[in-house]
Amino acid sequence: MKIPSPVMWARLKSPWVVHFNSGACNGCDIEVVALLTPKYDVERFGVKLEPSPRHADVLLATGCVTEQCAERLKRIYDQMPEPKFVVAIGTCACSGGVFAGNMNVVGGIDKVIPVNAYIPGCPARPEAVLDGVVKLLNALKGPPKTPAPKKADEKLVEVKSASVTAAETKPLEAKSNA
Amino acid sequence: MLSSGKDLLTILQEKLGEKAQIQAGFLGKASITVKPGVHRDALKALLEADEKLGIVAISGVDLGPQIGILYHTRISNGIVTVRTEVPRDDAKITSVTDLIPGANFHEREVADLFGVVFEGHPNPKRLVLTERWPDNVFPLRKEVKVSEIKLKPESSEINAPEESASTSGELVNITIGPQHPALLEPEKFSVKVEGEIVRDVEPRIGYVHRGVEKAAESRTYLQDVYLVERICGICNSCHATCFCEAVENILHTEVPSRAKYIRVILLEINRLHSHMLLLGHAGLEIGYETLFQYMWRDREPIMDLTELLTGNRVVASTLAVGGVRRDIREEDVPKIKATLATLREKIGFYKKLYENDTSLKMRTQKVGTLSREDALKLCVVGPVARGSNVNIDVRKDDPYEAYGEIPFKEIVYTSGDSWARFMVRMDEIYESIDIIEYALGHLPSGPFRVKVPRIVPAGESVAHVEAPRGELFYYLKSNGTAFPERVKVRTPTFANLGSFLKTAIGQTIADVPANFVSLDPCFSCTDR
Repeated sequence: MKIPSPVMWARLKSPWVVHFNSGACNGCDIEVVALLTPKYDVERFGVKLEPSPRHADVLLATGCVTEQCAERLKRIYDQMPEPKFVVAIGTCACSGGVFAGNMNVVGGIDKVIPVNAYIPGCPARPEAVLDGVVKLLNALKGPPKTPAPKKADEKLVEVKSASVTAAETKPLEAKSNA
Repeated sequence: MLSSGKDLLTILQEKLGEKAQIQAGFLGKASITVKPGVHRDALKALLEADEKLGIVAISGVDLGPQIGILYHTRISNGIVTVRTEVPRDDAKITSVTDLIPGANFHEREVADLFGVVFEGHPNPKRLVLTERWPDNVFPLRKEVKVSEIKLKPESSEINAPEESASTSGELVNITIGPQHPALLEPEKFSVKVEGEIVRDVEPRIGYVHRGVEKAAESRTYLQDVYLVERICGICNSCHATCFCEAVENILHTEVPSRAKYIRVILLEINRLHSHMLLLGHAGLEIGYETLFQYMWRDREPIMDLTELLTGNRVVASTLAVGGVRRDIREEDVPKIKATLATLREKIGFYKKLYENDTSLKMRTQKVGTLSREDALKLCVVGPVARGSNVNIDVRKDDPYEAYGEIPFKEIVYTSGDSWARFMVRMDEIYESIDIIEYALGHLPSGPFRVKVPRIVPAGESVAHVEAPRGELFYYLKSNGTAFPERVKVRTPTFANLGSFLKTAIGQTIADVPANFVSLDPCFSCTDR
């Protein structure tokens, strides 16, 4: 689906983000909040933290996804208007991290909803989150005009898919643990 | 009040006589083994002997044919454990909530995780596990394998009609959470209001329950250090220190004195960043966003200090059983001192603000007042207790690491309202700066880590530290292998949550955020 350009321009200029903690240790969450404060000041890129998922473009999801939160996470994703993007922040959000295989843990945001960008780190540094969001926005513009980033950069922030159509939501599966 | 643990034991032995076996110096100051039923007498005797007595934690332990129930209680200078056993097939015991109201959540947790029925409990509902959890599966019993747990497919919670703003008679029910701008963490509170006045608060915690206690049993002691410090990203060093202390107690390892001082520095840096985080966040909750932005700006140098000392901004990963993993370099000491000196100046500005700013005082003074009696009854800990004129601080009462050698003041405020709880933290920032400066000035030379065996002999121990939010408690049981038998974590917010349910009632709904945030709630700690 091709988005009309003025809308795209507005979206890239000022993406509104909603933050959801799906069972994180607060480490990533305080780093997401630190993004809003003077040292990192993410608002200079037009990024605004929005309390309601219904007004948000990007979902910043942290945590290893507990069973209780999985349904909530899916519900918040469903409430967001199209097109919508998901950024998984922190190692737990990417893969379950240190909690992978625990009881009550689904393990990873992408087990519940499709994810567009993964930002690893325990916790992810504010610079890395900033970099991830900016890379996601650049990816939305289309193929990059600059040469592809070097290997080391890819490791830091991997923009998996920049598809603007929401991929089909994976069903919640019964947990298979190690 | 008693001066030493020994007097207390004599009194207890006289009162309980043949019914109790008292073992001094085990599981805290003493362990009192009783038959089920007598545990109430033992707790009553302790209550009469010490006015500051409170429940620290109730641990369940799977002992094969029996389920052990351990009531860890706090006396003026340490922990006394009352232990009893109930048969596994008929796990029933009389509740102690009528004696000590603070035991309420602890009993519900043991009921959830071990299937022990507490007879006479006022509200025996599910606390930490999901509503979809299968019946009669109690996860911390040994026979339960994580891979075999099959959750119920349907979630009654999601399918139930939305209860937010539903009306039941005169009361209106307002649901806050699990996703709410005021809560950084997913938890749910059902607040019943009559007009503007709150009449009842019903919490539903457990949204962040990650099964850490169960997982710790299947990982080695080395892995567990990194697991437990990820229970909470904010007070991570406190969790790691407390776990390491518990292991060291069983191993009888003496940590080198340099490591003790480095641990103190790390713990106090944790406290500095946590208190500043909260005092800024409080500004956000009461509609004073400038304060939030300023406070967090000045908190950044503390994060840089953490990075300088540990290599990471938030999760330190520096603690190890037997010491610390990283030394403090000589050339870093002046940098740390300079940062702290700047911080001290800046905190002066915020203290004046909290003391004099009219709008801040109007939003926090006489809001959520907790009397000293209630604070003792509900067994609250940390700044919440100290704001209500209860002088408990593990660093003073039962010194660990190098705290016995470092001079500092215990901050106590008497008014018991939200403002007092904020001011306790404000003054503790000064004390923390002093402690770090003293520790840097008196840093002993020598090794910072000793080698410890990977296999821990069978034994049991308890450890507690003063985390930023209050007393953090660990109970550890080892079985002679490289894996622990049981790790019990009781976090400060779990103890403090009960006070919010008490103080919110009768106040206006607009005061709920200020009151709530003054507890410094941390639910990743609470749920584990």
